Amino acid sequence: MERPTPAPDILRGTLDLLILTALSRGPKHGYAVARWIEIATNDALAIGEGSLYPALHRLEERNWVTAGWGPSENNRHAKFYALTRQGRARLRVEANNWRRYAAAVFAALDAPAAE
Amino acid sequence: MSRWRRFRRLLGPETRGDVDAELSFHVEMRVRELVERGESPDRARELALRRFGDYEDSREACLVISERRERTMVRTEYVSELRQDVAYAFRMLRRTPGFTLIAIATLALGIGANSAIFSVVHGVLLQSLPFREPGRLYEVRMLYPDGTFYTGVSAPDFASVREENRVFEQVEAYSTGVFTLLGAGEPREVRGVNVSDGLFRMLGLDIAVGRGFLQEEHQPKRGRVAVLDHGFWQRMFGGDRSVLGRTVSVGGDPYTIVGVLAPGARLTTPADVYAPLEYDERFSATAQTARRSEFLAVVGRSRPGLALKQVDDDLRRVGTRLQVAFPRSNEGLTFNAIGLHQLIVGDVRTPLLVLMGAVGFVLLVACVNVANLLLARASARKEELAVRAALGAGRTRLFRQLLTEAVVLGLAGGLCGLAIAYWGTRTLIAAQPADIPRLGEVGLSTTVVLFTLAVSLLTSIIFSVLPTLHMTRGRLTEALHEGGRSGAGSSGHRTRAALVVAEMSLAVVLLVGAGLLIRSFVELMRVQPGFQTDHAMAFRLTMQGDEYKGAPQIRNRVALFQERLRALPGVTVVGAGTVLPLSGLGSIFNFTVEGAPPPPPNVNAEIAIASTTPDYFRAIGTPLKRGRFFTEGDHSESPKVAIINESAVRRWFPQDDPLGKRVTVGNDVREIVGIVGDFRQRDPGQESVPQLFAPHGQFTTRTIRIVVRTTSDPLALASAIRSEIRGIDPNLAIPDFTPLEQLVSRSVARPRFYASLVMLFAGVALALAATGIFGVMSYTVAQRRREISIRMALGARAGDVVRMIVGRALLLAAVGAILGVAAAQALGRVIQKQLFGVTLLDPLTIAAVIVVLGLSAVAASILPARRAAGVDPASVLRS
Repeated sequence: MERPTPAPDILRGTLDLLILTALSRGPKHGYAVARWIEIATNDALAIGEGSLYPALHRLEERNWVTAGWGPSENNRHAKFYALTRQGRARLRVEANNWRRYAAAVFAALDAPAAE
Repeated sequence: MSRWRRFRRLLGPETRGDVDAELSFHVEMRVRELVERGESPDRARELALRRFGDYEDSREACLVISERRERTMVRTEYVSELRQDVAYAFRMLRRTPGFTLIAIATLALGIGANSAIFSVVHGVLLQSLPFREPGRLYEVRMLYPDGTFYTGVSAPDFASVREENRVFEQVEAYSTGVFTLLGAGEPREVRGVNVSDGLFRMLGLDIAVGRGFLQEEHQPKRGRVAVLDHGFWQRMFGGDRSVLGRTVSVGGDPYTIVGVLAPGARLTTPADVYAPLEYDERFSATAQTARRSEFLAVVGRSRPGLALKQVDDDLRRVGTRLQVAFPRSNEGLTFNAIGLHQLIVGDVRTPLLVLMGAVGFVLLVACVNVANLLLARASARKEELAVRAALGAGRTRLFRQLLTEAVVLGLAGGLCGLAIAYWGTRTLIAAQPADIPRLGEVGLSTTVVLFTLAVSLLTSIIFSVLPTLHMTRGRLTEALHEGGRSGAGSSGHRTRAALVVAEMSLAVVLLVGAGLLIRSFVELMRVQPGFQTDHAMAFRLTMQGDEYKGAPQIRNRVALFQERLRALPGVTVVGAGTVLPLSGLGSIFNFTVEGAPPPPPNVNAEIAIASTTPDYFRAIGTPLKRGRFFTEGDHSESPKVAIINESAVRRWFPQDDPLGKRVTVGNDVREIVGIVGDFRQRDPGQESVPQLFAPHGQFTTRTIRIVVRTTSDPLALASAIRSEIRGIDPNLAIPDFTPLEQLVSRSVARPRFYASLVMLFAGVALALAATGIFGVMSYTVAQRRREISIRMALGARAGDVVRMIVGRALLLAAVGAILGVAAAQALGRVIQKQLFGVTLLDPLTIAAVIVVLGLSAVAASILPARRAAGVDPASVLRS
């Protein structure tokens, strides 16, 4: 039912984590989330920013973020997203998972060559 | 969250626009940023879109998710509102326990009665027969020139149908009889069936223990094996498997038990013991003789996809061919078919559907009554609803709220109704109304429960729609402006009066129906049955076995029984015959009058024949009209004689004097020596048909019914008779004694059953309608207190006030009566067949109904009227 969203492979499981992290610094509209990720990750999303939106909607459906319309900084009508309590809890779980996973990968990369 | 949802609602679920707005905002922001960095607008847009990736894909994905989310939200909201409504409904109903109890009880009565009758209709009419593919099963019957048909088919005709038909996959036959069973406790009568080789297989009847019949066991004298009915096996042998191989005596012959049928497996008629049909020389499609000795019931399974008409046509073709091949025996005869289901339930179908309709009327009256109760609460509720509307509830929401309350009431009524139905069905079955077929298969099945549920929901809608419309009509807030004063107004009152008229006319329809059925029943009971029912009883004896090898032994034994019983104190007459009044006709034989022209082609040249001992007619109390009764001198060696009834005289001797005439009956030539009065042979509602009696000395049968007329209660002699019989032959089955009165009551059991049920329903409907009048009149009195007070202050007396109120109730009743009688005339056709001796416009019935209705109206309005008359004008007018 859900169509696959075009995103760089490396971001596939981590896009949700990035969005949740972005929103944990305060409510944002979609473009602001994109900008935050762009700056924070050194433009990892360069191609396929569009995949951000299905991800946002899915998070909304799961009640991890809540959305509402309001004026943007240049006074345009924009959809703002904010983290819910469940979203915050989810972020903690996902972040921990990711840290453990990354640590494991780094450990592997730094391991001495096998004899 | 919920505030946002409401806000969002205001905008409407515009997911498509929202998604577009969101995505384009993103692109525009990106373009702005790029332009600020110095790109040209066109280049900036191109770069922004490239960064975005596949725009359409993202948009589609967002839409799918958002729409799904929207749907879930709507559903969740609906469920939570429903939960609120239900909780609110329960609160409301608890707040007015009196109203709630009365409404639920009324509905339970209506729904319960419907479920009970439906469970009977379902079990008897709708459920298919317990056979494999019952829709393709037909019974083959002989069709006679005058259009009547009989179940009996002769063995050669059965063989011919089996061989020559082109419509049946399989044609099977069986014969039934009553036999004496010895070798299993007390001698007793059992119902025995001889079945053809494929009958069990064709009907899908399984053997539970042991085996069925083998092909070679259908050869003459080889088939001394028996299969037991499962219930009989349980009753007689306690379900003991070791009965297999045991030999019992059935009808004087030894049979070895080889098997037991599966539980519930049976033919259309119940039986105890099954044995193979012996295929003697008569079972041949070319047999010339025995074609008019009909003793088989023939059942066929048609090929798939054939209609009754095709089956019928083919059977007629076979019949016509037999007429040509065997003109002496088969002239004028042919076959027809009837669906097995139709055969079994055909004559109870209409009455049961009528009962279903009657009970439906009761439910309608119950609905109207509850609607009336709801309307009575309408004024109070209107304020409450106005408050809720003012607080923001929409009209549809209020409508739904009221409907929820109705459904809660309806389901509660249905639940209680189910209990009533359970009890009602048990009572109905226990009453064993007049051998209604398949009654044993009636019960509260899943279908019945589903039916009850559906009826409850439908009922809720019917009774709530009017009050709900009434309450939510107009500007709701008006009720608030009106303040505390009752707001139902005169239109509400008119509605309620109309509802009362409606329920009265429904009750009148039922009352007229019940009245007509009761009148018919009374007329039936007034019919002179042609015999004397008091101080006489009858019992059946079946003489089989070694002691009764030939006719002389049987004759001597019958003579001995009669002599011994006659000697008992209190016995005045003892006679014996093969049939009893109101219990059937006896065998049918070809019949011709010597010297008379042949009968017209549409008249059957045949007559029903019974054999009797000399005192038979004196014992049943049927008078001799002319000539003489039989005497001991009419024995096997003397000239053959016969007595005929008056119907036979009318049919066969319209001009001549039958006395002294010689007639041919079967193979015998007999002289008519006497004429007896007619007695009713089937039920009191059916005219007598021609019947011929032969002396038992000349026409001897193994089964005979002995009739004993006494000076006092005949049943008091039962044990004395029993011991006399046992003293003569201990191997005779002990008979049941039937007082002749019981022949009458048994034959009218069905009409009595229908009449009493419809009467019950009419009574319930009338009681409900009377409650309706009471409610409306009480309301009128409450509304018109000021007016009544003014009248009384101006000099009206208490009597005038009572007359005014009661008069108004009578007016409503009169309108209801007129509409009801008119409707009853229109609907009456459906019970026409059940009526006897009365017409639909029976003045006595209609007068009685009007009187009953008038009295109920007076009874229901007298209390409110008295209350009105008791009003103290001064205090009312001051307030």
